Amino acid sequence: MFKRILIANRGEIALRVIRACRELDVETVAIFSEADRGAPYLELADEAICVGSARAADSYLRIDRVISAAEIGNVQAIHPGYGFLSENSHFAEVCRSCDIGFIGPTPEAMERVGDKNSARALAREAGVPTVPGSDGLVSSEQEAVRVAKEVGYPVLLKATAGGGGKGMRVAANELALANAWQQASTEAQAAFGNAGIYIERYVERPRHVEIQILGDQHGNIVHLWERDCSTQRRHQKLIEESPSPRLPPETRKKMCEAAVRLAKAAGYYSAGTVEFIVDQQDNFYFIEVNARIQVEHPVSEMVTGIDLVKAQIRIAAGEKLGLTQKDIVPRGHAIECRINAEDPAHNFRPCPGRIERIIAPGGFGVRFDSHATAGYTVPPHYDSLVGKLIVHQPTRQEAIKTMIRALKELRVEGIKTTVPLHLEVLANTAFHEAQVDTTFVERMLAG
Amino acid sequence: MSAAEKSGDLFNVKKLRRLIELMKEHDLSEIDLKEADHHVRIKRGGEVIATHSAPVPHAAARPAAAAGVPQPAADAGMLIIKSPMVGTFYKASGPDAAPFVKVGDRIGPEKTVCIVEAMKVFNEIPAGVSGQVVAILVENGAPVEFGQPLIKVDPGA
Repeated sequence: MFKRILIANRGEIALRVIRACRELDVETVAIFSEADRGAPYLELADEAICVGSARAADSYLRIDRVISAAEIGNVQAIHPGYGFLSENSHFAEVCRSCDIGFIGPTPEAMERVGDKNSARALAREAGVPTVPGSDGLVSSEQEAVRVAKEVGYPVLLKATAGGGGKGMRVAANELALANAWQQASTEAQAAFGNAGIYIERYVERPRHVEIQILGDQHGNIVHLWERDCSTQRRHQKLIEESPSPRLPPETRKKMCEAAVRLAKAAGYYSAGTVEFIVDQQDNFYFIEVNARIQVEHPVSEMVTGIDLVKAQIRIAAGEKLGLTQKDIVPRGHAIECRINAEDPAHNFRPCPGRIERIIAPGGFGVRFDSHATAGYTVPPHYDSLVGKLIVHQPTRQEAIKTMIRALKELRVEGIKTTVPLHLEVLANTAFHEAQVDTTFVERMLAG
Repeated sequence: MSAAEKSGDLFNVKKLRRLIELMKEHDLSEIDLKEADHHVRIKRGGEVIATHSAPVPHAAARPAAAAGVPQPAADAGMLIIKSPMVGTFYKASGPDAAPFVKVGDRIGPEKTVCIVEAMKVFNEIPAGVSGQVVAILVENGAPVEFGQPLIKVDPGA
């Protein structure tokens, strides 16, 4: 086991990793930017090193400074969290050449699954269904027109280097395609430095269902079942749950097996998530792999009883999984709400600012993962996640009831948060009846 | 009650002590108070900064200020050269070499004042300021973080 690791991240996930390390008796080195100086969670690390000024590009994304911090901090490994450098294969490569363990997949596996287009090719090889679409990148508008005709409208243009819901455009017909093509390529170049676009059939009103996988360095890979993340706004997840309500058992089984097949084909180990969309007829199609621990990992932890972050650290240290697939039996129903510093009354504009008072909910089946404390100022430079509220109960109905109760108990004063939106979703009939797809929130807000 | 206390003078030592007690009681980490042209900012864990933001009209205020409030006067007007990177601080180019700067040296902005080694690269750090070296704040071979104060310079000297 490692003696000391560095956490190349901030906020709630940094706290999450620090907690796992403390339980494993692993010392921690935290890094922080000037905007995060004085954050209370830093005190829980054994050492904290400033790596730059507020902008992520000047601090958390500075590979040289993160590695330097790892060196002066005397660590054996780095946990990259999510976002920032977590899916940067160059960073994973630098760690390897500096003889610092990277708590995640190999750079090669990361590259194989990270490029959306090459992941699709891998899926096809592994017999994992993909959305009908272009065979690779589409190089011109004329080709786009031809492919779209074959695939069938409506089509979705996607940036191959994209992620987090960015760089996507829908075209309902050939007339709209020219415009969509122009916009998508330009945006892809600007946002990701890669203008590559591929085309898929646009699946209307899909459910977003993802499979959590976990593999060790000895070739063992298991899945921890699924999470349904259909409750999204502008491609950003708001609420996640497990099991996916209304997913036929046979479909669930096939998806989980497909995810493991794909991970094996990619030579993937550590924690990862294979994302699918499910159409109205319960057909599932592979979308992408997230080669990192995800924000919503606690949902899977609650239903399986497995600590995913500790598992990642153990795996990176060379330990065997110690689990077979039949050991992983899901129990009950878990739901997570992402509490963001955004104002639902003003189009979700970000509300960075000082939290005057915070009261965390508690009770049976309630978990609140947050780095925020009274007096903490949410900085404007990073994501707006203040905390994650997770509940776990024997049934979905009870989980919804507990979540509503916990959301009402939660008090975050001084800034606006998305709590009112969560309460609106949870009170909604469509949500109760599990008639939710990725367009649900926007339709609900539009009234 | 002394005249100073009666006048509500911010710089009264008893009052400041009471403020600090109240901060501890209510677990406040920082308070910032202004009264006319007096200004006090107290941060738990170190600094007490008491300044006059305008010329003080009452001579009585000055002795109170000088009496008990710890003034970080030593740092007033000093410039601090901070580390632009994370790494290890070295005061000289090699173990047997003379240090780049000593206390008392006059330096200009282009002068290399130290090395911060990061990932096996020895980065020479320029002063960026002019003045006289007052103090070297880091030990040779010690790790430094981004923004860490390295060298104190008196620009007026």
